[in-house]
This record gives sequence, C-alpha cells and structure tokens, in this order.
Amino acid sequence: MKHLYSWFVFLLFLLASLTSNGQQAEKTISGNFSHVPFEQFASQLEAQTKLRFYFNPAAVDSLFITLQAQDVPVRTALERALQNTPFHFAIDDENRVFVTAGVTLEPSLPDSFFRSEREGNLANNARTTEKAPASAPGRSRYVREAEAKLYEIGSGSVRGGKVTLAGHIRELKSGEPVIGATIYSEAPSVGTSTDQFGYYSLTVPAGRYDLKIRGIGIKNTRRQVILQGDGKLEIEVEEDITPLKEVVIEAEKDKNVSGMQMGLEKLDIKTLRQVPTAFGETDILRVVLTLPGVKSVGEGSTGLNVRGGATDQNLILFNGTTIYNPSHLFGFFSAFNPDILQSVELYKSAIPAKYGGRLSSVLEIKTREGNKKKFSGSGGIGPLTSRITFEGPIIKDKSAFIISARTSYSDWILHRLSNNSFRQSAASFYDISANISHQLNEKNSLYLTGYLSADRFRLASDTTYQYRNQTASLKWQHNFNNKLYSVLTGAYSHYAYDITSEKNPVNASRLKYGIKQTSLQADFSYFPSSKHTVDFGVSSLVYNISPGSLTPNGENSLIAPDILAREQAVESAIYASDRIDFTQRLSLSLGLRYSLFNALGPRDVYQYTPGVSRTETSIMDTVRYGSGKVLATYHGPEYRMSLRYGLTDNSSVKASYNRTRQYIHQLSNTASVSPADIWKLSDANIRPQVGDQYSIGYYHNFRANTIEASVETYYKSLHDFVDYKSGATLILNHHIETDIVNAQGKAYGVEVLVKKLTGKINGWVSYTYSRSLVRVNAGTPADRINGGRYYPSNFDKPHDFTLIGNYRFSRRFSSSLNFTYSTGRPITLPLAKYYIANSLRVYYSDRNAYRVPDYYRADLALNIEGNHKVKKLAHSSWTLGVYNLTGRQNPYSVYFKSENGQIRGYKLSIFGRPIPTLTYNFKF
Amino acid sequence: MYTLAVLVRALSLCCLVLLPGCIEPYMPEAISSTQSYLVVNGFINSQGSTSINLSRTYDIAAKTPPPIETGATLALEEEGGTRYPLRESTIKGTYTSANLALNSGKQYHLLIRTADGKEYASDYVPVKTTPAIDNINWQASEADLAIYVNTHDDTNTTQYYRWQYEETWESRPVLAPNIEYLNGEIQPLRTFYPLVCWQSDKSTPILVSNTVALQQDVVSQFLLRSFPNTTNRLRHKYSILVRQHALTREEYQYWALLKKNTENIGTLFDPLPAQLTGNVHCLNDESALALGYVSAHSVQEKRLFISRNELPNWWPLQSGYEDCVPPDTVENFPPDLAQRFSSRLFLPVNTVFDPKNGLISGYTYTVLDCIDCRKRGTDVRPSFWQ
Repeated sequence: MKHLYSWFVFLLFLLASLTSNGQQAEKTISGNFSHVPFEQFASQLEAQTKLRFYFNPAAVDSLFITLQAQDVPVRTALERALQNTPFHFAIDDENRVFVTAGVTLEPSLPDSFFRSEREGNLANNARTTEKAPASAPGRSRYVREAEAKLYEIGSGSVRGGKVTLAGHIRELKSGEPVIGATIYSEAPSVGTSTDQFGYYSLTVPAGRYDLKIRGIGIKNTRRQVILQGDGKLEIEVEEDITPLKEVVIEAEKDKNVSGMQMGLEKLDIKTLRQVPTAFGETDILRVVLTLPGVKSVGEGSTGLNVRGGATDQNLILFNGTTIYNPSHLFGFFSAFNPDILQSVELYKSAIPAKYGGRLSSVLEIKTREGNKKKFSGSGGIGPLTSRITFEGPIIKDKSAFIISARTSYSDWILHRLSNNSFRQSAASFYDISANISHQLNEKNSLYLTGYLSADRFRLASDTTYQYRNQTASLKWQHNFNNKLYSVLTGAYSHYAYDITSEKNPVNASRLKYGIKQTSLQADFSYFPSSKHTVDFGVSSLVYNISPGSLTPNGENSLIAPDILAREQAVESAIYASDRIDFTQRLSLSLGLRYSLFNALGPRDVYQYTPGVSRTETSIMDTVRYGSGKVLATYHGPEYRMSLRYGLTDNSSVKASYNRTRQYIHQLSNTASVSPADIWKLSDANIRPQVGDQYSIGYYHNFRANTIEASVETYYKSLHDFVDYKSGATLILNHHIETDIVNAQGKAYGVEVLVKKLTGKINGWVSYTYSRSLVRVNAGTPADRINGGRYYPSNFDKPHDFTLIGNYRFSRRFSSSLNFTYSTGRPITLPLAKYYIANSLRVYYSDRNAYRVPDYYRADLALNIEGNHKVKKLAHSSWTLGVYNLTGRQNPYSVYFKSENGQIRGYKLSIFGRPIPTLTYNFKF
Repeated sequence: MYTLAVLVRALSLCCLVLLPGCIEPYMPEAISSTQSYLVVNGFINSQGSTSINLSRTYDIAAKTPPPIETGATLALEEEGGTRYPLRESTIKGTYTSANLALNSGKQYHLLIRTADGKEYASDYVPVKTTPAIDNINWQASEADLAIYVNTHDDTNTTQYYRWQYEETWESRPVLAPNIEYLNGEIQPLRTFYPLVCWQSDKSTPILVSNTVALQQDVVSQFLLRSFPNTTNRLRHKYSILVRQHALTREEYQYWALLKKNTENIGTLFDPLPAQLTGNVHCLNDESALALGYVSAHSVQEKRLFISRNELPNWWPLQSGYEDCVPPDTVENFPPDLAQRFSSRLFLPVNTVFDPKNGLISGYTYTVLDCIDCRKRGTDVRPSFWQ
C-alpha cells in the first residue's frame, strides 16, 4: 500500500514536469549579465519573452546573476543562472515563472486536487492550492490538503510593511495545544515557537512563505501562506503515535545553535519514559538528575543541586504553582504522575525575567490539557505504585479535562512482612492532578489546575508522620490582538507536615508546620516587529507560614503547647525584557526584574548586640511590630541578559549574565533533603540570598542538526545563603537566627554535552567538571566553619559523566542503557578517637575534608510495545528494567559509630544490588 | 526533637522494606591523627569526691586502650576563692579529690597542668542540684525487656538530665571440672572453681533527656536499657544501679551533639557531624585542644534487681556459656594428654568411661574461660547483692 502511494506521487511529479517542459522548450533568450541584481535580470527576461516573474523581493535581494546567453532556451538559461544558488524556479502553463528559495514549486496539479475547503478555523481562508502532496505516506488527508494549500492571509493592502501572523498549533486528534513547537520559514529565515498555550505570533514582511512546523511528539508539517495583512492561521498537526521513533526534542532541532536561550534543558514525556528508574516508574526528577550541571547528594534524594546551588534554590513550578516538596516516600519517588505531564523545562542559566524568587534554577513542569475531541485514558501498574488517567472533552473542541491519580501499595506489602513492628507500621502515598481548559472565545481561554500529593507513615505504631502539598491555579489567557497577549495567573500553594506521637501518654504530642503561598501574576507578551519580542509583567506573592507548633495529644499529655509566631510577607516584582534580533546572526535579550520583599507583623523581633555571636544572651531588645506593620524590607534589581552570535549556520556562541534574589530559605542540617525541613522567610535578622551567574557557551550542530554539541562554562557567586552552627536546633526554635550563619558560595564548571536526536541509536553523553565551594567567614571566630576558609559543599562532585543511550530494534522493541560516573561526595571523617563517658568517641576533621569512593552505576530497560494498529481498544506496553545492573554498592555515606563502647566504621549504600522491575502501561 | 529519631526509624524501614540497600563495615585508608589532644572525662561532684580521668586522643585504627595522661596536677577552684586539689590515685590517669560539699551559690572550674607544662582550665560552671530518682521499673513484652526511669523536679528548675548506669549480674559456668592435669597426669581437682561470679558493665550510650517542652519538669518512663529475651544477663539475677545527673542547658547541648555525632549517624538524613570539643581550653597553647565537658552537680542513684523467677518462664535466656558445650574429648593416651594439657591452654573437665568395659577412655576438656567465671567477673559477692 505504502509503495503504491509513493509511486503515485512520483508519477504525478513526472507528469507535471513533462507537461511544463513541453510547453516552454521553444522560447529562447539572449544577453550578457554580469553581477546583475536578480530583479533587473528578471525584468530583462520579461522584456524578451512573454514570461512574468513571481518572487519575493526580500528573498532575492542578495541574488546576483552572471550569465552569457545567445539564443539559449529560457529553461536552460534559468538553470544556469540559478545553479549554485539556493533558488529554484518553476514555469507554469500561463508563462508565469516562480522563483523560490530552497524548494521547487510544482505549478501544475492533477484535477483531483481541487476539493471543497474545510478550514473552518481560518480567519482568512485560502484561495489557491498549488503544490502536489509531497509529504510522507500515512498522513491524514486533512494534513495533506492543508500542506498543499496556499493560504492567502490579509486583505492585500500591503504597503511594503510588516504583517503579523498568529494562531495556535494544536494536535489534530485531541485538540490539545502543542507547546514549544517551532514555526519557521527557511528563506527568509524567521521563526518563532509556540508558548504554553500553543500560541504563536510571527511578524514578517508581507510576502509569500513556506512555513515549517516542527514539534515534540508531532509529525513535521508545513503551511504555505501569502501574507498580505495581519491574520490568523490555526494549524492542526498530527500526533506522532509511535513513541519509540523519535526520542529527544525534535522541536529544538536547531535550537541548540539558533535559539537564544542557553542553560535550558527541555525534556518531553517520551524522553522521560525511556530512562530506567529504581522502581520502574517514570520519574521526572531522576531524569533531570542525569542532565549536566544537576547533582544531588545521593541516590535517595530528589533534592536538586543545580550548578552548585543548594536544594532550596530551585523554583519548582507545576502549571504555575510552587511545589515545596516534590517527593514521596522520603525522596525515593517524585511526586508527579508521569501520565499527565507534557514537558519539563529546567533553566540553569539565563533565567527569563518572568521567573524569580529562587537563586539557581527554574524547573517548570507542564501538564497536558486533555483530549478535546474524544474521551480516552491511560494507566500503568508498577511494582510499588499504580496510576490511572482520564481525559476528554467537556465541550467538544472548546474545553477538556484531564485527571490523573496515583497511589502506592507499600502498606499492603508492609502488612505481609513477618516482623511485628513492620506489621504495625504504615507507609503510603498518593497524588492527584487535574486540569480543565476552556476556550471562552477566540480571544479568551481559561485553565484551571489542581494538585494534591500526600504521604503518611506510621512507624512501629507510635509515631505518625504526614505531609502534603496542595496547589491550585487559574490562568486566564487573553489575546488583545495578534501582537499582544496576556496571561493572568492566580495561584495557591500549601505545604504542611504533621507528626504525631502517641506511645507514651505523658509525652504524646503533635508537631505541625505549614506554609501557604498565594500569588497573582500578570504576564504580557508583545511582538512589535520581527526584531523585537517584549515580555513584561507584574507579580505579587503573599506568604503565610506557621513555623511550627507542638501541642499535647491526649488528656494525659504534659506537653506544654509551644507555638511559634506566624510569619507573613509579601514579595512583589515587576519585570520587562526585550529580545532584539539585530540580524539573523546577532540577537540580544535584555531583561530587568525588580523585586521587593516586605516582612510583615504581627511579630516580636529580637535585636542582637552587634559584633558578637548571636546567642540568647546577646539579645539586647525585643521590638514588637503590630499586625500588617513592615518589619523588614529588602529590594533590588535582578539583571537578566543574554547574547547570541551565530558563527555559521551550524554554530553559535552565547553568553549570559543573570542575578537572582531569594527571600525564602529552607532550613535543613541534614545532608539529604528531609520532609521535616522547614522553610523560613527573610526577616529583620535573616538577609535574602543573592546570586550572580556568568556563563558562556559554544554550540555546534552536525549532520543536518541530528547531532547537537555544546560546551557551556559558568561562574556563579552566591551570597548570604543559610548555613548552620554546629548542633543547630531548627525545629521549634524561637530565635532561629542564633543557630544560623550567613554563608558565601562560589561555583564554577564546564559542561560538555553531545546529543544524537534521531536514528536507531540516540541519546546523550555529557561530561561535567564543576566545583561548588562554601565559606562561612562572617561573625565571630566561634561561628566560622573550617576557620573561615572555603570548603567543598555536600554535593561537590567535580567529575561527572553520564550516558543515556537508546537503541531501537524495531518499532515495537527498544532498549535503553544508562551509565553514570561521578566523583564521590565530600564527607566529614573522624581524625582521632578518645574515651569519654565509658565509650570511645570520635573527633571529626574539618567539614567535608574527605570523600566517599567514586560512584558508578549502569541501568538497562527494555520497552516492548503492543502493535501499532491505530484502531484498537487499548494500546499497551511493557517496560522491563534493571536498575544498577552491575550491583555495585555505591557508598552513600561512610560513618563511624560508637557501639558498645567501641568505634565501628560503616559504609551505607542504598541500592546495593541489581533491582529488576516490570511495569505495564496502557492507553485507551 | 524526636523527629530525627523518627527519621532514622523511617529510613531503616524504607531500607528494609523497599530497598536492597546495605550497610557494611568499612575503614577508609589514610586517616591518621596528626596531634594528640587531652581528653578530660568526669565532673565536679558537689556532694562527694570528684574523680577526673585524663587521657589522650589516638589513632582511629589503633587497637590499644587509650593512652592515659599521668603525672598531671589538678585542682578545683571556686570562683574567686578556694582551691581543692585532686591527687592521682593508684589507678594511673585518675585524679580524685577529698569528699567535698561545694557551695551551690558559687561557680567552679577545673584547673589542669599536664606533665609537659601545658595549662588547661574548664569554663566556670554553676552548681546544679540533682533531684532524686522517683523510681526505676521494668516491663517485659513478648520479645524484650525494657528498663525505665522516672523523675521529677517540683521546682521546675532541672529540666536537663543525663543518666549513667552500672549493671551487675550473676554468671554461672555450665561446666564444673573435678579433675586437673598436674605433673603429667590427671588428678582429682584440689581447688574447686567458683560456681557463681558477678559480672558487671557500665553504660556506653549517652542517655539524655529534657523536659523543656513540658508544662512540668517530669521525666516519664525514659527508656534506659533494653534486652532481647535471650540475654544472659537476666538468666539468674540482674541488678542495675542508675546514676542521675542534672545538667545545665550548655552541658545538655554538648552531650546531645556528641550523641548525634557518634551514635545517631549513618542514615540518609544524617545531621552533618560537627567538630565538638567541650568547655576545657588550653591556656598557654592555642593549638592544643582539650576534649570534654566539666560540669558541677550532685548525683542521685537508685538500684533495681530483676530475678529470673519474675520473668516469663518460657524465655529462652542464654547462659553466656553456649560456646562451651559440648566439650571436646581427648583419648586417654599419655602423649595425647601431654600435648593437649601441658600448655595449660586447655583444661580437663571430666572423665569419660567406656560403657563396654567401664575403663577410662578419655577426658573432656575446655578452655579456662568456660570453667573459671573469674575471667569474666568476680567471685566476691558485692556488698549490695541481695
């Protein structure tokens, strides 16, 4: 069938070219042209023959013709004139010559090609159709027709000016927007990509364009347009349903080189799915951890350390709401159901001015909008969790919902264990995410997202441990016109934990912590011309923290209620940025964000004797601030600048500088992020953190953009992030500032990344050399750590090598292999032992003076797809994985313990054996 | 407060249930101490004799006992006043004072001059008075036995507590020899080995608690010690002497941090270990550190006995001599006997007769540890033993 179709297409071409040849063969021309502008050449030919030339003046302005001809047939003359140029020509039977760059037009068509038009969505419907379908076989007829059609847009009142074309790119079957798809024309080279709503806006000189559309998970397509005025073009594209075919970032095919953004890592759900994990479940945070520049202290932790930043310096956004604890089960799972996710973007440098509030990175997680055309579902069954997703239209083509849920059955496993204390224990978690999108009319759309994740543990029946994230957001997108649109976002996040202890009635207690964040944000995007892309907006965020309360649990409890005073603050920001494309090669993005933070009463603020270590005894005074009174104000500019210079079509250099400010701090004195960590706002005694990052990179694509290579280097300095005095008490501390010291940090490194995007073998290889150093030099000598010298941070692992490789045996069978090597993390080891209180104890070295042995691990996964018949009740797949294939016992930590009076050294490894998993996924 | 303990347990749970993780003995290479620091172990007893033990830090991999610091001059000093000397006792490295009753309104500190001429002093500390122990009790569950302490302070001023204990238990060897190897032949035993000894041990973990979060200064059922139902310590009779110390907040923090540093460690959620010295400083050499915390307080103690007949009779309590039975046998052949017994590493226990002819076919034998309980304790009945 496929072959038949290809033959048919081929025959059409043949027929078309034969007919045109036959008609034009006898016309001849003469003349001597030496470096003549093409327009002049064309007008001379028009004078000699009946030919009429059609071309885009802007496209040919650098085309000069050198030709000597004496009674040469027109066709031969043109062939000679245009050889070694990117231009092609075609002559139709009305003696019209079409000169185009890049592609040849086929001006003739079989009769069967004129059919009724079905472009209901078009503001300005197309009139003419031209080209024969050249697209790959197996495309839907709608797409074939749309590709072949020439859309005329605008009323034709072009006065040599610019016009703006805008619209959405949506998936044909589900009507979901395609995010991050690129729409571009090769000659002249202009392009843009769709935003989170699938919206694009392209401002170009009037004229004719061959627009190409590329995107993640969609089939490549094109639209031919003649732009005569501002207009709209809604584009529907086909989903690429064979998920094993393309792996990574088709949309960004040449973005590596041509895009403005540096330090951005973008992963789509298909890439995420291929990476093997310990529990067989697609885990976005684990995959993000394989990217260059991202580290964690060890395997059990989902705390990300991006380019030497602490784990609290990442803004984790889930459809615009902040997630404070992105993990389940003490960090072994990430708290996002993979089925609802669309993409994950990690900004490591050149953070757009739109984002603020965290120092090191922005991790933006976006969900799908749901199928707007029909009801469908998907799910999976894994060794520890199961998940299910439903989606479908509420009003067809206008609104859709998607809801997904996931739960663990570790409780069930626990109760089957022989150990009595395990049987009395409980460990469970679940998460639910839902999204509703509704298109009110052409100019207004609404998006509502809700998210809930919860964990619960009961340990040997005496202590129950719970924590949960709850978030909601409402977005209203409004298009003022093709050049200006806005998004208004209201968001709410809540994170809380609760620890109850009941065993001893006298000490039975309940410890609680909670943080609430409410925000309102307006973002505008303005496209004044093809040279400028302007983003601006304002945001305001209200924090409300219950920093801790300990209350008696039960009548016999003697626990004295201890409730820390609430903390309130408002963080506001205003920003604007302009991306200026000076030439095709040079672009500059300038951004400025100004943030303002007000800590608000009611609150009692301690004042400390200056110049002395802050302790309870150095409290001089207590100042009481009334409700709503400002007790501390911090503000400052945040610069966001980046520059791109294209060296060649395949290579470019980019540089960026950004400053970030952070007003909220995570307090944790453990190496790994723990769910009992608390978040603290800046106040009169705790300054905000400020970070500066400079980075520069070189980007090169090989083999028609199928291989991307980049080298990025950065230097980062961090000021006033929080570190702790030895033995700090972080929970229920009424004067936490006495246990905190301000630390300075510096981080630098080089990241080398080579990605192969397509083909049977694909994946990426990265090598990172990076250092991350901390210094605590402020205050009195007693507060200094390691004598005030720089020391390696907990996650300073200089060498890091990662390979993610996929091999596709067939469309239904593929495999993935991961390999990771890194230097061991720094630890503090004992220098000497001594005998005190009937036991040997150890005396420790300077902080982080030693390292655990190097880390390496290999994982393997096999994906087996069901058949790809499009009409089938349910599509299913199996994933068989082995985590830690070699079973290496990678040390997480090395420690020394006093046991029965003796010192014993131990090595703890978390996944010390190969872990096989099997997951079943389905989609209907 | 207790969250750390919770996390530790949570983690062990996670590890056991979900993760094939593992913990292995490990000794990294190339850790060697560059300097040896003075270690001060003890406290100023405000109602009695003060005993301070001086030793030195030493190499982490060393197998020897800690080097003791002998020949030092020590004294207690009252703030702006009297000095009370401490003299090195017959146990080298241990320095004791006379019985003293210190003024609880004053502050005291310890002065040390070591043999190498370095002078050390602890920080001045107030005298805390330790409230009496209300009771010590034990509870047996199916699988284990736990010993708890209860105390309170009506004035609500103590708040920080530390406990140490000394255990004593009866130990009875399962083998009682009636022969010995003397002058190249087996002879009837002249001096019998004791049938019962008293073994003792001191507490090694740091046991601290505070009542800061409570409305009253009450310590309820603080877990001091627990045993599995197989322990040999409870097989005959067991006694525990609990000593209670009242701490200042600073001293409490010292012990709590020392505990975190050296006991509650080894999980994913480890607090980072910290350099911890204490409140003793060298006065004439900045690079010479001293480790230890010298506080001043009185001590309260209480003793508890647990007898075998109070425990569930089905408990499989061990004797502690499980490795000794059954004893090996050597043939009654003089060269074999000489080879076996002349080194005195092995000792004969009983005569083995051939059931057919009633002749001596051989002798059972064992090591000294299996028959002489004095290798593990003392055969002198402690004065407190009931």
